[in-house]
Amino acid sequence: MTKILTEHEAKKLLAKYGIPVTEERIAGSSDEAFDIAMELGMPVAMKISSPEIPHKSDVGGVVLNVKEDEIKTTYSEILSRVKKAVPGASIEGILVQQMAPAGHETIVGLKKDAQFGHALMFGLGGIFVEVYRDVSFRVVPINKSDALSMISEIKGYPILKGIRGKMPADIDAIARVLVSVSDMAEKENIIELDINPLIVNESGAIAVDARAMVEGV
Amino acid sequence: MLSSIFEPESIAVIGASNNETKWGGRILKNILSGFKGQVFPVNPKEKEVQGRTSYSSVLDIPYEVTMAVIAVPVQLVLNAVEECGKKGVKGLIVVSAGFSETGNAGLELEQKLLSIVKKYGMRMIGPNTLGIVNEPVNLNATVIGRLPRPGTISFITQSGTLGLAIAEWTIDMGLGLCKVISTGNKADIDDVDLIEYLDKDPSTGVIAMYAEGIKRGRNFLEAARRTKKPIIAIKTGRSKRGAKAVFSHTGSIAGSDEVYSAAFRQAGILRVDTIDEVFDAALAFSCQPLPRGNNVAILSNGGGASIVATDECERHGINIVDLAEETKEKIKKVIPEFASASNPVDTAGTSSYTAYSEIIKALLLDKNVDALIAIYVHTLMSDAIPPAEAVVEIKRKCPKPVIACWMGGKGIEEGVDILKNGCLPNYSVPERAVKALAALIRHREFLETVKTRAAEESE
Repeated sequence: MTKILTEHEAKKLLAKYGIPVTEERIAGSSDEAFDIAMELGMPVAMKISSPEIPHKSDVGGVVLNVKEDEIKTTYSEILSRVKKAVPGASIEGILVQQMAPAGHETIVGLKKDAQFGHALMFGLGGIFVEVYRDVSFRVVPINKSDALSMISEIKGYPILKGIRGKMPADIDAIARVLVSVSDMAEKENIIELDINPLIVNESGAIAVDARAMVEGV
Repeated sequence: MLSSIFEPESIAVIGASNNETKWGGRILKNILSGFKGQVFPVNPKEKEVQGRTSYSSVLDIPYEVTMAVIAVPVQLVLNAVEECGKKGVKGLIVVSAGFSETGNAGLELEQKLLSIVKKYGMRMIGPNTLGIVNEPVNLNATVIGRLPRPGTISFITQSGTLGLAIAEWTIDMGLGLCKVISTGNKADIDDVDLIEYLDKDPSTGVIAMYAEGIKRGRNFLEAARRTKKPIIAIKTGRSKRGAKAVFSHTGSIAGSDEVYSAAFRQAGILRVDTIDEVFDAALAFSCQPLPRGNNVAILSNGGGASIVATDECERHGINIVDLAEETKEKIKKVIPEFASASNPVDTAGTSSYTAYSEIIKALLLDKNVDALIAIYVHTLMSDAIPPAEAVVEIKRKCPKPVIACWMGGKGIEEGVDILKNGCLPNYSVPERAVKALAALIRHREFLETVKTRAAEESE
């Protein structure tokens, strides 16, 4: 039996292994969404939370940069779009989330391979992964020096190091995330995992979105 | 236990035949042509096979039998193997086909076969193998017509026919082989067993592999990581993409091939793209030491070839090193004024014994140089022999690796023979020479990372 975790569940799992994740809570009503947003500080990101909808944007389930006066309407708009797109899907509520800091979009992933166990992937996010497939792989477990060589192997590495006067990204923070993901692979019976994006800037790395499929218990 | 197959004291050939176009006939003939131990044909229909007493069952043989080659129709295999177990045979080579490679019914039969093998504590190569060669004991239990030249390269092949064709081809290339192992369906003995066995085998120096799939992936990586011997592998099936994006990005990108590449690299296995590269690298490993670093000097009597070599070095991250002033001074003395004494060294046509000999000596003595690529380009005005003699002569006294590239047609044959007999790996074009050198460098780097890692972990 496989089980798909919601974004919120996946991030709890990441947090358990010391990976920084965005602050967020699930709202069951538009009032609750407003209260959470006040607490987190606006603007916020609002995302549908359902174990049956792993691809949230495809069904209009994600709105970013929501301001104070838009929260309640956004709440009901997301719900009605999703209900139209995926009728009958079980919905836990709307995830209200701190907006991601500015930085480089990277992707960290795991896949259980039939031959060699878990394979760990790192790359720059967005078009770099989708079009150029600029990624590196290791079979887990890895240590920190493996993680560092994995990061420096991708073609886009100079971007992370800071080109044209840009601040260099916190490479060590990425390496820590990679080692943590390597650690959780077997312990958590992960089949597939994406941290996409892991936003990296000069002061750290944070998991902004995540999805996971695990072996069910 | 694998030694009962590779170094048996006696062999029974079950399904032995007088007809040399049949498996049981050809393999028996090949075994008899070199193997020094006792050989017993088994065939209930014959009194004598190829001049030897034929037994109707392995159980009738009045001597001990260490290993049996089984080449009977598939429906007779289980019974033959059962009898081998009763006889106390220790190792089996099951040539017969019709097992898991044919589908579910065959798979079931293979499982039955394996359980008989296990019941008697035997070990088995196959089924569906084309046999093995172990040159040091003159054992050719395959259908290859000749034994390879003696050498240190052991070749594991999952494809029988391709493997045997390649083995024949290496004979003509003058490559020295130690073992050829056609793994067949790997029902019992698989790549992990073979890597562990070859790691301990004193006559194997280099392991070459043709693999379509690996069983027991994790154990395989551990075995590969443990051995210091270089493993060069061609793993086919690169074109198969991973499953389409069903759930995650990672899942859609991480096809089995990407994972194979990563896993092989972590285990220090040199994955190459072509069959040529497997043996080009194996040849270099089999007769040259590993370089201390990746600083290379190139010598050529023509500019074009050295430029091609330089470009290829760049592609593989090999450094064309700056030569010491002293080295350049020595070189200038033996080349024309307009030629280049800088790396890559271009003699502008000169390829005399003295010139090559003096330059090679200077380059190999240069502390900055870790390895040398010596190129000779044939022309109507030059002779391929003197530079070949020079490089062989100097190399004999030097612990740094030297790779040769003698380019030309018929005119260079004698020069190439001198290189081969002098144990210098020679390649027809500079790119091949550079790739072979790159393999040596990558392997040395891997051994170093293993060492640093061990040091890190013991801290």
